[in-house]
Amino acid sequence: MQEQELEMREALRQAIDEEMELDSNVLIMGEEVGYYNGPYKITKGLLDKWGPQRVIDTPICEASFAGVAIGAALTGLRPIVEFMSFNFSLLALDQIVSNAMKMHYMSGGRFSVPVVFRGPNGAAAQVSCQHSHCVEAAYSNFPGCIVMAPSNAYDAKGMLKSALRCNNPVLFLENEILYNDKSMVPTEEYLIPIGEADIKRIGSDVTIISHSRMIKLCLEAAHELQLLGISAEVIDLRTIKPLDIKTISTSLRKTHFCVIVEEGHSFGGIASEVAFNIQERCFDYLDAPLGRVCQRETPMPYSKALEKETLPTVERIIAQVRETTCH
Amino acid sequence: MEHKDDSGLFFACDRQKTVESLGKETLLEMLNEMLSIRHFESRAEICYQQGKIGGFLHLYIGQEAIQTAALRALGPNHWYAATYRCHGLALLLKETPLSLMAELFGKATGNAKGRGGSMHFYSDRLLGGFGIVGGQLAIGTGAALTSKYLQKKDEIAVTFFGDGATAQGTVHESFNLAAMWELPCLYVMENNNWSMGTPLHRTLANYERLPEELSKAYDMKFMRLDGMDIINCYAGFKEALQYILSEGKPLFVECRADRFRGHAISDPALYRTKEELKKCMDRDPILLLKNLLIEQGWLTEGAFQQMDEEMREQMAAIAKAADNEPWPEMNDLEQGVLAPAKGN
Repeated sequence: MQEQELEMREALRQAIDEEMELDSNVLIMGEEVGYYNGPYKITKGLLDKWGPQRVIDTPICEASFAGVAIGAALTGLRPIVEFMSFNFSLLALDQIVSNAMKMHYMSGGRFSVPVVFRGPNGAAAQVSCQHSHCVEAAYSNFPGCIVMAPSNAYDAKGMLKSALRCNNPVLFLENEILYNDKSMVPTEEYLIPIGEADIKRIGSDVTIISHSRMIKLCLEAAHELQLLGISAEVIDLRTIKPLDIKTISTSLRKTHFCVIVEEGHSFGGIASEVAFNIQERCFDYLDAPLGRVCQRETPMPYSKALEKETLPTVERIIAQVRETTCH
Repeated sequence: MEHKDDSGLFFACDRQKTVESLGKETLLEMLNEMLSIRHFESRAEICYQQGKIGGFLHLYIGQEAIQTAALRALGPNHWYAATYRCHGLALLLKETPLSLMAELFGKATGNAKGRGGSMHFYSDRLLGGFGIVGGQLAIGTGAALTSKYLQKKDEIAVTFFGDGATAQGTVHESFNLAAMWELPCLYVMENNNWSMGTPLHRTLANYERLPEELSKAYDMKFMRLDGMDIINCYAGFKEALQYILSEGKPLFVECRADRFRGHAISDPALYRTKEELKKCMDRDPILLLKNLLIEQGWLTEGAFQQMDEEMREQMAAIAKAADNEPWPEMNDLEQGVLAPAKGN
């Protein structure tokens, strides 16, 4: 199979471009996606190629352009909404929750909402309290949606293509810091199915579960743990909702120890949910209480020093694994 | 379109010409449609009091002329988005009274399988009654985007909302988008003077003129209709449709109307005196059309009484039938949270 080395932003762009090619009802809208070529250049060149009918610049009005996309999805189109940041999606929370997520069930199956909301999620670098939320736990709490978060370019392309073919609202959470990261991506078309986690590193002593940018930290930690004689398996959730509990359970039945790493806050977080699922299904296989490393319970401080301290770090992951496994 | 009637308030139409163009049969059908909404809801009100219906029940009683005229003037082949006061629109879009009553009863055979209830009725063209005030403006605007995108030249998106919604950001944002993008949107504000229990002058600045001024601000055509007069509404909506289709631009209609009941069934509407209510009810849209038909010699009082009684009985029978419809299967509770992979 032929491969190309792509940045995540290019992989995402290819996914969008290919799906626009395949289905004339796919369009993208959001702030600066057209003439500006995208705030993070994900949509670079798409306006030139597809024109302003399909690459639609919106004013700064998240509630209504998200609602417009939902209305368009209800009536036959397959819109992609780019949020410049998922922090801004909170202005559209009512549209996303009340109108997109509830619609199929609430209408007794008469209407579906094939719309993808995508954009960067989580902390970037020193963008302070209002620009650094991790929204996955908040959105995942509502039934009626798919929540995905890729950790590398290869996954990003295959996952976004699947999201764009899904008949349900998908929250596709990217990460600004990962946009430049490169990985090998096949030149041929491929899809990564919704709902499939991926084992990013095989190990036998402990399972580390995470998603998005934290996978990089987990892999780094796993490498250092190996030097300490601890073999860590790293699972990338990829799709947060629905959760691939099968891959997790299989791993835990082998390793018997588990640490969950989440960039977002601990209270009511994805780690909590994963942990509860584990204790429901793997209680008898566990040799120690589950451990977790999450963002501390603070809004994101601006100062570089404080920001580093509140987020999970490689050091905190290693320390937690050692504590959990009693090494 | 700028012309106003004698009151200086409403769109000026040639009433007699409109009446004649509609003709006896159509006007009798429209009267019957209004009666069907009135009796469907009156029966629902009784069933609510009997404990057969729960939750919220927002009645359209008093405002029937607006949507009856809109459907007649516009036709069913557009996209429609409604508020939670959506029973009339679903009936007018030919959802069967039984499926709608069954929905109110929470039955499996209901319009939305008993999942939506009173506030969330659907048809293949009705995108829903929407429960969060103002949210449907963006949805209707999106439907209009689809019509334009797919170059459906005869299709518009019609969005109903209340005067209370006008304070919401989505109203202003949607107007901005529709006007800037030149979308075929018909926005219909049903101004019944009450934002739940708060009068207009305490919810909107410059409330008398705001709808018109707002239209001007977004360079959008504006029309004010007498929402109690089905003839005025019909003529207005007809012209509105023509404008939107020929110009490809949005239009904002304000319909002045009165609801005869509280905001929802739990609201005794103590904020309105009996005298005020009586004054509203003197202009009951059903009475106004009945009187017009009698004046035309197209209806007799006796024939009206018979129509009225027949509809009352029909809706009573439908409520009885809805009561006998099956409850949802408990095995279905968790089905359909997500749409299947294929098909839309």
